Amino acid sequence: MFDLLQSILDGVMFGATYALIGIGFTLVFGVMHKINMAYAAASVGGAYGGLLVLVAFKGAPAWAVFLGACLAGGILGYVVYLACFHFIPLGSPLATLMSTVGMLLLIDEVIVHSTDGMPQNYPAMFDDVMLQVGELSIRGDLLLIFGASVACMAALLALLYRTRLGLATRAVSQQPVAAQLCGIRVAQVNIATFVITGVLGGLAGALIGASVGALSPLLTVPLTVKGLIVTVIGGLGSIPGAIIAGLLVGGFENLFQQFRGVTERDLYVMLLLFVFLVFRPGGIFASGAGRD
Amino acid sequence: MDFYYGLAQIIGVHTLLGLSAYILLLTGQVSLAQAGFFAIGAYVAGMLTVLTGWPLLPALAVGGLVGAAVACAVGFPALRVRGLMLVIATLAFGEGVRLFFFNFDYQIARGDLRVGPLGGEGFRQIRYFPENGWTTLEVMLFIWAIVATVMAVLWWFDRSRYGAVLRAVGEDEVAAQSVGINLTAVKVSAMTIGGAIAGIGGGLYAHYTTHIEHTSFNILVATFALAYPIVGGLASVFGTLAAVVFVQGFLIEGLRFLGDWRNLLFGALIVLAMNLRPHGLIDARVLARLARAFGGGRRA
Amino acid sequence: MKTLATAVAAALAAMALGLPSGATAQERTVKIAGFGAKSGVVRSFGVNSEAAMLAAAEDINKAGGIKLGDGAKGKVVVEFLDDRCTAEEGISVIRRIASADWLVAVGPTCSNVAEPLFGILQKKVGDAGDSGLQMPVFTDVAIKGGLAKISEWAFRNVPSEATMYSSLFNHVRTEFPQVKTIYGGVEEDFAHSRASWYAVMKDRANANGLQVLGESKWLLNDTNFATQVREMKKANPDAIAIAAHPFTTCGVLKEMQRQGVKPKLLIGLTSSSSLETLEGCAKQAEGMIIPTSFAPVNAQATAAAKSTAKFKGNADLHSMAAWENMFILKGVMESENVLAKPDSVQADRRKIRDGLAKLKTTDGLLGTTRRTADREAEKPYVFVRAKNGEWTVYHNPL
Repeated sequence: MFDLLQSILDGVMFGATYALIGIGFTLVFGVMHKINMAYAAASVGGAYGGLLVLVAFKGAPAWAVFLGACLAGGILGYVVYLACFHFIPLGSPLATLMSTVGMLLLIDEVIVHSTDGMPQNYPAMFDDVMLQVGELSIRGDLLLIFGASVACMAALLALLYRTRLGLATRAVSQQPVAAQLCGIRVAQVNIATFVITGVLGGLAGALIGASVGALSPLLTVPLTVKGLIVTVIGGLGSIPGAIIAGLLVGGFENLFQQFRGVTERDLYVMLLLFVFLVFRPGGIFASGAGRD
Repeated sequence: MDFYYGLAQIIGVHTLLGLSAYILLLTGQVSLAQAGFFAIGAYVAGMLTVLTGWPLLPALAVGGLVGAAVACAVGFPALRVRGLMLVIATLAFGEGVRLFFFNFDYQIARGDLRVGPLGGEGFRQIRYFPENGWTTLEVMLFIWAIVATVMAVLWWFDRSRYGAVLRAVGEDEVAAQSVGINLTAVKVSAMTIGGAIAGIGGGLYAHYTTHIEHTSFNILVATFALAYPIVGGLASVFGTLAAVVFVQGFLIEGLRFLGDWRNLLFGALIVLAMNLRPHGLIDARVLARLARAFGGGRRA
Repeated sequence: MKTLATAVAAALAAMALGLPSGATAQERTVKIAGFGAKSGVVRSFGVNSEAAMLAAAEDINKAGGIKLGDGAKGKVVVEFLDDRCTAEEGISVIRRIASADWLVAVGPTCSNVAEPLFGILQKKVGDAGDSGLQMPVFTDVAIKGGLAKISEWAFRNVPSEATMYSSLFNHVRTEFPQVKTIYGGVEEDFAHSRASWYAVMKDRANANGLQVLGESKWLLNDTNFATQVREMKKANPDAIAIAAHPFTTCGVLKEMQRQGVKPKLLIGLTSSSSLETLEGCAKQAEGMIIPTSFAPVNAQATAAAKSTAKFKGNADLHSMAAWENMFILKGVMESENVLAKPDSVQADRRKIRDGLAKLKTTDGLLGTTRRTADREAEKPYVFVRAKNGEWTVYHNPL
């Protein structure tokens, strides 16, 4: 019995990493109504960028690397925006989808070429801390990731609802033409969205790298898939939805693994997604009336 | 020349993969599930020729039929979701099919060898072509006969009412419904046809690579299936063909002389292509110009 | 219209341009093609194999080249093609190589490319009804068991895990009497790792009196190993064997450190005895013992490693197999009187194939390698152990 609980708890804690990635996916979707397939790749890329801090200052503390990852993530976010969204007309969602796929491949290859594909050791904070709650143990660093997700959510919600930029962002997401008529520069808002989600992505990538202990280009595609699933289950455009969905997916993953083994685990995660799509297509927190 | 025949084979099969996504894109359904139907066709056709000794054409036909049947079953729930949710749902389905084959064992003894799919290890020794003495040229011609037939059928659709109905649904569902078009019938039929095309393509894939495993049908393949019609343009079937030639012929094989840079340029050129030609390599304007150059008259 | 036409013409030109051209009539070059993965997570394998082949070619040319059948000297030319670890591209690459005047191909890196690739080769030499490709392929890296028997044109110079782990567990039985139980960790979705645990390690451990308590499974890009390591902890084995590649191996080792799982003996997968594991988790891998078919234990091994490093490659069991292949091919070409003339390409390929098939032993960097009847190799091996961030030779049964 405790085994099962521990397993679920492990999964839920690891789900915090999915939550972090999901927030970025859902935010870009919420604002621009477009999927950024390159998001997870840019996040991992940002994490790699954080490693440059170690190259420059040997022995730098983990948080410095994370900060570097945030910076690199923000820059990458801007690059992705420029390459995939700025020049392509808004009426071509397929074109932006494909260009973000191209960007995903490009970022992957750049990572592979600069590291020859080898896993890179990643510094971690609290990775040796294990909290004991009775019979159950919780990983300290995953708790940190969970805390970071909540903090990011709070910061983003504050940004969206308490600042002018947030107001402009919500305006653009609801009615881009009307927003322009009110004098809001759509391009600026979009750039801000990408840079902010980029910073968030860089942090997500860094924390994921820290929790795994190593960074590898193997991370990009599974994170993309998980991020997309989490976004859908949580509700497209809903940030708290992304967090809860992330934890949910993490917990179910481990539950399925416990019962059906690792080879069938992902099959059941897909089924879970289908269940949500059938019974609650809007996701846990269905966002306001959005088209598509 | 063998190399060029081999490349033409690859282009042919990938064109089938692309066309299966193309017909769905016409109705506005962005599907990442085509790799799943591709896989189903591959395993079914492979098992028929290897385990039961069927000749190739019937095996391919059955592969296509099974692909179509599964696609039809998927088509109905797919109606409930639209836009980008459909993308993710079909992605999940495709992954589900891949995981199914990852866990699928069906081996029988053939003399002292065991043949058939073996889960993670894959399905080896699908040697219909070499065992029956097919040369690379013959295989290529066979594949292209099938591709040409499929393209002809789709081209004919485009000139007929069905094509207009497909595109109408893709452009504006509400308007299409208001003129009496049955959305369900159109979308599900498109999904079924797409599944059939992908199934046949998969069967061919299994036979010319002689070994298939679950990783041969991963998300990247699904993404490429979608990439071909998008990069090529939805105006006509030739768009998809052009995109396959562009990706397989130019980006993958043609740029080999760049050595290491080839892989880096791959993603970059796709991004560039989408920025320069967001409606595809062969979009409506290019098609009109081509039609004027070749046909003279206006398209129906 | 014009721009479209020029674009199409340019694309076609580029496609044709990419095809390697034939050699000029004056200089006699012996063209050996290398191919493997230079993209994705396995890029380091391709980079290292290419470096090893280029280094070996340089050494051979410096020593006078290859003595050809009519007394002339042939200069070795190597070109390495990237197959991106996908079956279709691998097949395309071998067709490209076969269509040009390369005499033999060394590769591929990935087992999932090797299997389909061997499948399109002619199964039995001289079978007129078999339209398979007639091109000798001499594999350096792809290690999944039993592939060479798919075709008589396929040869491999990869270590036999059955032999090495047999010896390792024998060694464990005698040198580690306190180790009585063993638990496994296996990458389920990678054919090589999977086969290595179930067919080799588990079997050999049982045969040497160790009690196998079970195994934990994961997938090759998994990142969360809490459940699996918990199972290991519960089983409390004396030894743990991890049949996985560096990324997940490091993930599991770090989780083991986190949960305080410290077995008396740690055993790894052959492929993981490379730089990758140390880059990812040198500290946690400390003490891991792996059997491998290369370590710089003698003068020629060290020299080979140095030459390869000049071409920016790392010397490990995979790349050094490519090095060995070059010298084996040199020997075969000389003994079979290969002519390396523009019109003798197919005849030369047949000679090389027959020559490789005839070999009973070859020279390996660690000693003599025995060649088996189904075209595989039994290579000499050593056991290495991770110590202070390096793979040091722990036991040399040579």
